[in-house]
Amino acid sequence: MAYTRRMATAIQASDLVRRFGEVEAVRGVSLEVAEGEIYGFLGPNGAGKSTIVRILTTLLQPTSGSGAVLGHDVVSEQTTVRRLIGVALQEAGLDPKQTGRELLTLQGKLYGLRGGVLAEQVREVTELVGLSDAIDRRIQTYSGGMKRRLDLASALLHRPRVLFLDEPTTGLDPLSRALIWDRIRELRERFGATIFLTTQYLEEADELADRVAIIDMGRIVRQGSPAALKAEVGADVIDVAVDERESGAARVAIEELQSSGELPKGELRGTETGYTLFVPDGPQNIAVLIRGLDRAGVRFGAVSVSRPTLDDVFLAATGGRMADAAERSTAGEERTPEPAGRSA
Amino acid sequence: MSASTAAAEPRTLAAPAGFVSDVVAITTRSIRGILREPELFIFALIIPVFFFIVQVGALGDLARTAMHIPSYAAFQLPISILFAAASTSGGNALVLDISNGYWDKLSVTPVRRSALVVGTLFGELFAVLGYSLALLIFGYIIGVRFAGNDLVGALGLLGLTLLFGVGFAAVSISVALATGSVRATQSTFIIFFPLLFLTPSALPRELMTGWFEKAVSVNPITYVVEAARSFLIGPINGGVIFKGALAAALFSALTFALTALAFRRRVRMG
Repeated sequence: MAYTRRMATAIQASDLVRRFGEVEAVRGVSLEVAEGEIYGFLGPNGAGKSTIVRILTTLLQPTSGSGAVLGHDVVSEQTTVRRLIGVALQEAGLDPKQTGRELLTLQGKLYGLRGGVLAEQVREVTELVGLSDAIDRRIQTYSGGMKRRLDLASALLHRPRVLFLDEPTTGLDPLSRALIWDRIRELRERFGATIFLTTQYLEEADELADRVAIIDMGRIVRQGSPAALKAEVGADVIDVAVDERESGAARVAIEELQSSGELPKGELRGTETGYTLFVPDGPQNIAVLIRGLDRAGVRFGAVSVSRPTLDDVFLAATGGRMADAAERSTAGEERTPEPAGRSA
Repeated sequence: MSASTAAAEPRTLAAPAGFVSDVVAITTRSIRGILREPELFIFALIIPVFFFIVQVGALGDLARTAMHIPSYAAFQLPISILFAAASTSGGNALVLDISNGYWDKLSVTPVRRSALVVGTLFGELFAVLGYSLALLIFGYIIGVRFAGNDLVGALGLLGLTLLFGVGFAAVSISVALATGSVRATQSTFIIFFPLLFLTPSALPRELMTGWFEKAVSVNPITYVVEAARSFLIGPINGGVIFKGALAAALFSALTFALTALAFRRRVRMG
């Protein structure tokens, strides 16, 4: 009876739309995250990830649609939602003139923590993120990685039940990244917190998330566990580099191989560097492909075969590689949505 | 209240903090930030002190003979104090928070967002108090004294300066909230020139003529200057002080209204 509000759904969004003037940054996003889940939100720069996080963390109102955290509406029950969530934003805006401890103490006070509880929480989160030695230094002396860890610590002070981490490792070196990953796993194990994590790193989503949503141009294009998404691609991935002048000939040659049955029918995608072919039994078929291209007199560069990654899932879903999608976006701004059906 | 919160949300430690507690926490942080940038304190004092020395040096003797002002230093000191009070950087601190993301970080806590603004304003009051005291001590050293009772003079002058200073800080805070632009916020300093120099800053209003006298008479800051000055050169006149306090209060009420509008705009924008 005491826990009547407790639900299995930690985060829920229905048809969220957000426009900035003419630009539709979020175009009808619906999602559900179960309690205790680590949910990865993967997409290139400017795909709308941060906008969705800002809506779900009460910082921004949706143009239409609704969102809720543990059953509390993010627009009409802001204060309740704010008490339940912890947020580490992408821009770790930390007052450089304060010490780490001062920043955490201020943050704790705003969450209504007092006295002994506050001091103990500050000690605990500082230890958790490995900043105990630096906590009394001014933040202006911190490295980028330390600032991120302090930001993470400040998001944990009040033991939030749902944690939003917006690109927690963007721009960090591999060592700092691994350290943050460990902390995130530990958080879930120790406190059972639900974690909503946005990232533009495939490995990060793969490593951490129970479920991943792939977002591009303000829409979720695929959703599921990393393994299931990769299985959906259902094939090995053969990449072949082809010079631009040979591009047409290569496509003709590959399609001929497919129609003659030498290569199994599978999705063929043009990429910035050549072609990507989704086929079962890559090692066997890479030989067929090389022989076929050779026979057709097509000059080609490196050929490789790999198991599908989340980037291949992204490619299969959107027709572009994540890195290319990010390049097309204006740095630091929401990308202007383009009409669907970009040429490959 | 806290028991029911705990029952409904078993694992979070967050509890309602209350507006006063929020304001105290934010004010403490603002004051700490001010104390940690003593160079800003020095910069805010250099120009008023320089201005004071030049004015008194150039016009001191003339004022004594032509305007019958026995101590031009006492006549000028309130101008320097109001000058310094208008050099506060409240908007600058806030716009930095907005542009680097710290405002967002504070805004996702359950803090009442108005406490973020009120706390910053209180921090500014602290800075204004610091500037005013420093200049009063400077004045004391060079021989400027209050006209009547020292305590009444000090409290009156400081009170008036705080009221004016907080109103002035609210202007730059409004611009910070409305625009989120560092450059726009810094340039609000410009409005200070008409406000503080279309006043009897160099000579008494009785000696002015023409359009200048008219412009000076409609500027509310004129009455703040005259009231502040009366504590140092006398006579201490209830009417003059009341007019000054009223002008400062109206000025601050106007700028607070601007702040409230800008604040609502900022909160709506998210």
